[in-house]
Amino acid sequence: MSGGGAKFKAAVPRLGIGLPYFASLPAEFYQCGAVDFVEITPEILCRQRPAGNAIELEIVPQHMERAKSVCAGLPVVVHGVELSIGSAHGWNQAYLEMLDTFQKVWPFVWHSEHLGFQTFRGSDGCTQEVGVPLPLPPTNEAADLVARRSAEILERYGVPFLLENPAYYLPDPPSDPEVGDDIGLMRKILQRSGSLQLLDLHNVYCNAINHRFDPFAAVDRMPLDAVAEIHIAGGSWDGGFWMDAHDGRVPEPVWELLEYTLPRCPSVGGIVFEMLDEHVSRLGADGIHQELTRARKVWMSHGRGDAYGATRFSDVAGAVSACI
Amino acid sequence: MALLDFQTSLAQLVRVSNAVDVPPGVLLTPRERRYLSDLPGNSAFCFTVRVQRSWCAGRAAKAAYLTLSILPSEQRDRLLEEWIGSGGGTHSFVGAESEAFLDFIARRLSDPSHELTICRMELAALRSSEGSLRFERPELSRMDRTDCVLRRGRSAGVVHFYAEPEKVLNALLKREPFPAISSDVTTLIFGPGLDRLYVRASSLDVALYERLRSPAATADLFAEGFTRETSERLLEGGVLEYAK
Repeated sequence: MSGGGAKFKAAVPRLGIGLPYFASLPAEFYQCGAVDFVEITPEILCRQRPAGNAIELEIVPQHMERAKSVCAGLPVVVHGVELSIGSAHGWNQAYLEMLDTFQKVWPFVWHSEHLGFQTFRGSDGCTQEVGVPLPLPPTNEAADLVARRSAEILERYGVPFLLENPAYYLPDPPSDPEVGDDIGLMRKILQRSGSLQLLDLHNVYCNAINHRFDPFAAVDRMPLDAVAEIHIAGGSWDGGFWMDAHDGRVPEPVWELLEYTLPRCPSVGGIVFEMLDEHVSRLGADGIHQELTRARKVWMSHGRGDAYGATRFSDVAGAVSACI
Repeated sequence: MALLDFQTSLAQLVRVSNAVDVPPGVLLTPRERRYLSDLPGNSAFCFTVRVQRSWCAGRAAKAAYLTLSILPSEQRDRLLEEWIGSGGGTHSFVGAESEAFLDFIARRLSDPSHELTICRMELAALRSSEGSLRFERPELSRMDRTDCVLRRGRSAGVVHFYAEPEKVLNALLKREPFPAISSDVTTLIFGPGLDRLYVRASSLDVALYERLRSPAATADLFAEGFTRETSERLLEGGVLEYAK
């Protein structure tokens, strides 16, 4: 890992248990001790508008104010989806400009993005959206491109930058032998850029089922000393594939993967239970609280009890039951 | 490998879901060409395409929620399918998707019809609501300048109702049948600076809005009989704006 990587790894504080910002959850949920930090996808606070020949992402002040008030006092990390860091024709400059503004009004502890691409250059030369994120081929060109951009992001924001391993359904794309596969690609990018990994264990599980490999063996091959955050989530079967649907509770095998992985990640700063906003009402505050509580038990059982929120843990049960 | 060409070919393949001709001059190795040409027969690729279609349909349905909700399910499904098939539904931001999809739907609805009215109202409400976030009341004194030119507000719109708007909207809210189409037309005018973002338009309002299909100098408008009072009121509501 580069010197920059070591510096940023040292800058990852132990935050504890995190939850995405859901506008549909009551604000009290974030303030009753079950959540140590909040993961914000800034695009959900934005709208897109034309600015000359380009597109601008504009933070909607009312959305920002509400989010800040809901998350009052909690550390915030950013989890973007619109950057398209792996698009060879160019990344989403409007996203970065929006994030510049976001950081000035709401500083974040670290920043993460998905390792993949979702835009391409259309036949008219304009940027077009695929409509779904696609994985990058494990090649030196892709590794160099994302490493260069990741290093730029580290420089630009001065906080750790994490790349998330994606879930993918497409069969193995053509690769360069010295990169190998998606794990090799992540390893090369981290080595060349100094960025860190957001290890999404549900994505590992999802890929393991759909592409028939052993998820524990896959975790063993990952650069675990560079993992700064872990995601857990739920999914569901659809058409013979396990979907990374973020639609409910964490499956038991993913909990097992968490138990296995966490003690092998010395630099991890937090675990986030991910879900899509549209499924929040179905699981409910009670269900979400149960998943967070279980994640906290794992976190603490592996000696991460000195986390930001751990001292408040004894108060959680009563406080949460009062607010839900 | 040329990553750019590989991504473009793969993305187009996912969007059109069957084989695409890789044009000459594209820098793909024989292995990459073989990979891409084998994909359409691969179940994992077909699933990726299905996920893409499902995400696009979800975005589009959200983007034209009101209009789609009043259409028969068969018509709704057909519109969604046609829209997604033409590459729609890929915008991550609802606003951009709504503009394009509602316009697409409007061109396929009978004119006049209450369905078309609702579609245009959804689009006008969306535009004026978005516009209201950054709307600033204009300086009316600029109208006194000899070079003053007016145009339609970029966040404004007019919607014609072919029955009393209250009756149409009540039917919409209560999921009851719409009233019969009437020859008496009532027009609502939408603007980002208007109270509640819309107001019932007078015939003068509509005439001035229609006149401004292309920008016009205030001197010409006044010479044609349009009043300063109407121009000022519509400017303050964001229905009109200064062209320069």
